[in-house]
Amino acid sequence: MTTLKVEGLNTFYGKSHILHDVGLEVREGEIVALLGRNGAGKTTTLRSIVGLTPARSGSVHIFDTATTDFPSYRIAALGVGYVPEGRRVFPNLTVEENLLVPLERPGPWTLKRVYELFPRLAERKSNKGQQLSGGEQEMLAIGRALLLNPKLLLLDEPSQGLAPLIVRSVFEVVASMRAEGISVLLVEQNVRAAVEIADRVYVLDNGRVVHEGAAAAFAADEERVRELAGAKADAFDEFD
Amino acid sequence: MTQVILFNLLNGLIVGAFYALMALGLSLILNLSGVINFAHGGFLALGAYLAYSLMPTIGFWGALLLAPILTAFLGLAVERLLIRRLYGRDPLYSLLLTFGLAFIFQDGLRYVWGAQSVPYQIPGWLASPLSMDYFFLTGYRVFMMIVVALAVAGLFLVLGYTRLGMRIRAGTLDLDTVSVLGVNVRVLRNLNFGLGIYLAGLAGVLAAGMLGLSPTIGDQLIMPSFVAIIVGGLGSLPGTLVGGLLIGVAAGMTTVFFPTATEAVIYVMMALVLIVKPSGLFGDEGRLR
Repeated sequence: MTTLKVEGLNTFYGKSHILHDVGLEVREGEIVALLGRNGAGKTTTLRSIVGLTPARSGSVHIFDTATTDFPSYRIAALGVGYVPEGRRVFPNLTVEENLLVPLERPGPWTLKRVYELFPRLAERKSNKGQQLSGGEQEMLAIGRALLLNPKLLLLDEPSQGLAPLIVRSVFEVVASMRAEGISVLLVEQNVRAAVEIADRVYVLDNGRVVHEGAAAAFAADEERVRELAGAKADAFDEFD
Repeated sequence: MTQVILFNLLNGLIVGAFYALMALGLSLILNLSGVINFAHGGFLALGAYLAYSLMPTIGFWGALLLAPILTAFLGLAVERLLIRRLYGRDPLYSLLLTFGLAFIFQDGLRYVWGAQSVPYQIPGWLASPLSMDYFFLTGYRVFMMIVVALAVAGLFLVLGYTRLGMRIRAGTLDLDTVSVLGVNVRVLRNLNFGLGIYLAGLAGVLAAGMLGLSPTIGDQLIMPSFVAIIVGGLGSLPGTLVGGLLIGVAAGMTTVFFPTATEAVIYVMMALVLIVKPSGLFGDEGRLR
């Protein structure tokens, strides 16, 4: 069974052609990193997979189900957790209320387990989402996605705006998903942190897949890593 | 004089409670679905007429229980069949649709029950005054206040403490994220619409006992309900509640001191609020969204 198979995806925002024949695959138990500069189409790829920005052509299969034309909630109900860019924590709900929003799919993840994983959230469970720090919001967004009891987790830039120490602990949690039997597709700007935990990587550029391969080999190619990681500072884009 | 003031204060509170009940339903629908439901008054009238028709069979209490529920089911059907198609389009489309529905409701009610007002019976013991000194304080007025208070409390409990309520509140700000968390947002919007229409139906069943029942009963309540939303602050349900009571009492008090301005005063209040605090009294904080 393939966990996620994307083929020939073409996605538009209005008349702008963002994704060009994007194809990628996540196999069961894998952590796959989707890398690329700002504006390469990483976020759009995730949004197309979860049905928020449906592709104009191409196909998405999740757990061998063709989900290309599914609305987002049907895709999620298959067991697809999504941690969106900017976390999208509900600011008007408390931490605990945020955690009660997801569909109650049966599985090992409960409120109690999420609080064990992120004790900080337990301490702040009565606080409103808007009162949380960036790191706490990231924990909440991940915890919220886990309560759906996903078999596939899509994360969009979990390290964005976080202090290095917090990035480390967030990535430890992401790496631990492997042991939970959760496959992961990770979009990241923080290339070095991402290749450290990933099995395989895809690199997007201008909406096209320009590289795919084992993460270890990619990490060893220092020039390539530096090219991508170094692009961070001066990158600018209006879409991603 | 004290009697006149008290009478109009009470009247204002009751009318304000109807505005609030109606406005809360309108707010729910507006916040989650972005639809300004001009047909809300039609649903209110339908609730009252259903109660009127049911009463001979199941009595006042049965009608009070059943009529709003039947109205809510019709609301679910209308959302499912008509309004849903217009989500994501320019708000003008749904505005025109509900505007048209309002007329269809009114003429439909005329066709079935006649254009004249119909005799709407409330239990005799509720209709009699509680005190000889304060003849206007009838049991029915107290009863209406209690039912409205219970309905509002029930609504806030549902929104505050059930998953459905949390999802509705989350969805008012970010429906996409609610959807990617696996919540069927079509069903969510549908139920939310039904909840709003239930409140309209309940308001209708109660209001008919005080205002009398004719096909236009919703008309006198819908514009003040929109005003209540704006005074209270768009997006804030507690604001909507306060706004409804406030304009009801203001209109009641104006009846005492400046009767000819009764109709105008709520619009003056709206203008003042919009000038002084355009987001409304509770527009930015204190929201239970």
